Amino acid sequence: MAAMFSQNPLMNGPNYSFNQGPSTASAGNKEHSFYPYTDNGGSTLAISGSDFTIIAGDTRSTSGYNINTRYSPKVFKIGGTTASQDDATLVLSVVGFAADGEALKERLDAIVKMYRYQHGKPMSVKACAQRLSTILYGKRFFPYYVTAILGGLDEEGKGAVYSYDPVGSYEREQCRAAGAAASLIMPFLDNQVNYKNQYIPDSGVGHELKERERIPLGRNEVEDLVKDAFDSAVERHIEVGDGLQMLIITKNGIEEIYKPLKKD
Amino acid sequence: MTSIGTGYDLSNSVFSPDGRNFQVEYAVKAVENGGTSIGIRCKDGVVLAVEKVITSKLLKPGANKRIATIDRHMGAVSSGLVPDGRHFVSRAREEASSWRKVYKSPISTSDLASRMGGYLQAYTLYSSVRPFGITAIVAGWDSEVETPVDAQVGNGPSIGSGGKAEGKKYGGPGLYMIEPSGIYWGYYGAATGKGRQTAKAELEKLDLAAGTLSLEDGVKEAARIIYVAHDDNKDKEFELEMTWISNLEGPTKGRHQEVPKELLEEAERLAKKALEGDDDDEETTDKPEDKMEE
Amino acid sequence: MNHLPQAWGRPRDDVYGPYDASYLQSSHGPNQHTQSPIVTGTSVIALKFKDGVVIAADNLASYGSLARFTDVKRLRKFADSTVVGFGGDVSDMQYLDRLLISLDTEEAYSSSGHTLNAKNLHTYLAKVFYKRRSDFNPLWNQVLVAGLDGEKKPFLASADLLGTTFTSPSLATGFGAHLAQPLLRKVAPDEEAAAKLTREQAIEAVKESMKVLFYRDARSLDKYSIAVVTKDGIDLKEDEQLEKQSWAFAEGIRGYGTQVN
Repeated sequence: MAAMFSQNPLMNGPNYSFNQGPSTASAGNKEHSFYPYTDNGGSTLAISGSDFTIIAGDTRSTSGYNINTRYSPKVFKIGGTTASQDDATLVLSVVGFAADGEALKERLDAIVKMYRYQHGKPMSVKACAQRLSTILYGKRFFPYYVTAILGGLDEEGKGAVYSYDPVGSYEREQCRAAGAAASLIMPFLDNQVNYKNQYIPDSGVGHELKERERIPLGRNEVEDLVKDAFDSAVERHIEVGDGLQMLIITKNGIEEIYKPLKKD
Repeated sequence: MTSIGTGYDLSNSVFSPDGRNFQVEYAVKAVENGGTSIGIRCKDGVVLAVEKVITSKLLKPGANKRIATIDRHMGAVSSGLVPDGRHFVSRAREEASSWRKVYKSPISTSDLASRMGGYLQAYTLYSSVRPFGITAIVAGWDSEVETPVDAQVGNGPSIGSGGKAEGKKYGGPGLYMIEPSGIYWGYYGAATGKGRQTAKAELEKLDLAAGTLSLEDGVKEAARIIYVAHDDNKDKEFELEMTWISNLEGPTKGRHQEVPKELLEEAERLAKKALEGDDDDEETTDKPEDKMEE
Repeated sequence: MNHLPQAWGRPRDDVYGPYDASYLQSSHGPNQHTQSPIVTGTSVIALKFKDGVVIAADNLASYGSLARFTDVKRLRKFADSTVVGFGGDVSDMQYLDRLLISLDTEEAYSSSGHTLNAKNLHTYLAKVFYKRRSDFNPLWNQVLVAGLDGEKKPFLASADLLGTTFTSPSLATGFGAHLAQPLLRKVAPDEEAAAKLTREQAIEAVKESMKVLFYRDARSLDKYSIAVVTKDGIDLKEDEQLEKQSWAFAEGIRGYGTQVN
């Protein structure tokens, strides 16, 4: 390969400088020292129930070991028609690079609003989920550095949670934890929501052992699970803490709950 | 008009044999039909005022402003075709902002008048365009203290090389009137539009050249003059719009702003009172002086 | 052998070696954007109180470790109602200041009397920063915006070269985030506490923090600017001197004072 571009006449035969040699200095690849991303820490969590969805996130924002602020929400109502968003039906959580998260939220919010004005009805979670994927993939080669979770109620009124990777790959799930403490919270959720590794005592040996039957969780139960998950994450992860913001989507609207977390 | 049928009034940029550009003269005619605009250069500021003839009772009072801000320290008003006035303002804003981009400091009133004079003049040169149907009055206050360039961070040396000049006088009020031909002059008091003759006569009585009239008195005089100039045109209703620019110590701190409501109302009250006392000794009316009839 | 006409009359490569193009400017190479700040300002600190915000920054612009300019005003006023404190590149600060001047001029075109408040201004600046970082051509600053929001309540927020934004009862950029922020948080741990602070308490806390920063930040100066923004306007002082310094602590630290052991 190197020989092809060599100026050595013995390798390629004689060649001449004018218009054939390099016209620019070849100083090798320029090193770029500007990195356009940062990690602002924090964690989010979403659980869907039979007729509700809860999306929660802590409110700490960090830069390295610094706490930027103790109150910077990561969970947003989407597509309402007023400044207070009280007629919204969808909720988006973003965790990762906060500036990208903010930009993504504002874009999705504008799109969902336009849908509502043009069609005279709120966007369904299913449609919004696909749209969000398209937005994320649209920046496939300069991604929004965020893990997004979208929540709402589906066409049947059941809780719906859609989770994403930064470039738009998505799926509907029962529950999902994302962000700095995702690896701490997710296994807890597997066990407590989907009853993974829980078996009925004395129901058999080896493969005969019966799994504990899964039942839809009630709202209060889920609220407690969320609080426990975050209290545990705060103990073990330095980027999580300060406050817990919970948005609960039901057929009557979106309710917001704020609870303090440890500030250390 | 004698020009009719000669053909020299059909195209812009073409002189008549006796050296006139009829299109420009017709543009002046358009100005003469517009509501009166005046400007007064006072010792500590400048006032702009315009007689806004009410063309419909459905127009909201106080809306549809005729005096525009060009830059923070400068305003303009015009008589004649309102859309031409709007374009004049938009160009003036571009000139002011491009001046700032290049020199990092506000454009002086004289420089803006020069730029706009050049711009209007260009509209007398081409057959594809027509001259502006307005005469504009531009008022500004050039800062009297040495001002930092935009975004200056330090003070520089206070004495010695690069230091400040002692006792040098800067800035002051500026008032210019620009006509459709592109001609512009600086004035102590300027008037244009339908009532310009009466207004000019009133302005001359003020002895503005002495430089003793205060800004607040200037506001009151401006209001009175607009009322006097309108007197010849009693049948039509009008609204008075006024703006001012004071020095840095004054009420607007060198900025172009609307005259506050209280002062405006006070000035209007005094103007109406002066008119009532004046009613018996009626002023001379607008003499038709029409060069085009030659 | 190359027989193309453009090669005629040129020195032969087999005799003279290939043409050395290294001196040529890479004018057709990739666009070069800011990769690092040049002349920089250090920390900006700010604290909310009962009816406004106190903000401060020293008057130094450094060129690397050189104290290059010592009378640089890094607190910029906007529309007589908001103060923006700039950390980071000074020329980018000047660019932004001029951008804000033109924004203010354009706001004045309509005579509605409406002006952009601190919250509006912060949103605007954050979008400028985010746009520029997305173009890989960042404005190398971290700024604090101090003023009042739409409800005339004290407003304080940060924006930086990446477009990251956040608000807090107290904020500090750069070195101040490490040194001053803990001191300010002690005075105002949350919004409720900040809303009880008096103007004097807030000024005192900010001045104390500036002093601590001067002790330990090698890129700082004892001359500084401080502004108090309330609904009555801006009280900006640009030529303040740090007072009541005590270097007694230095005696106990090796290498700080004149002692050898």
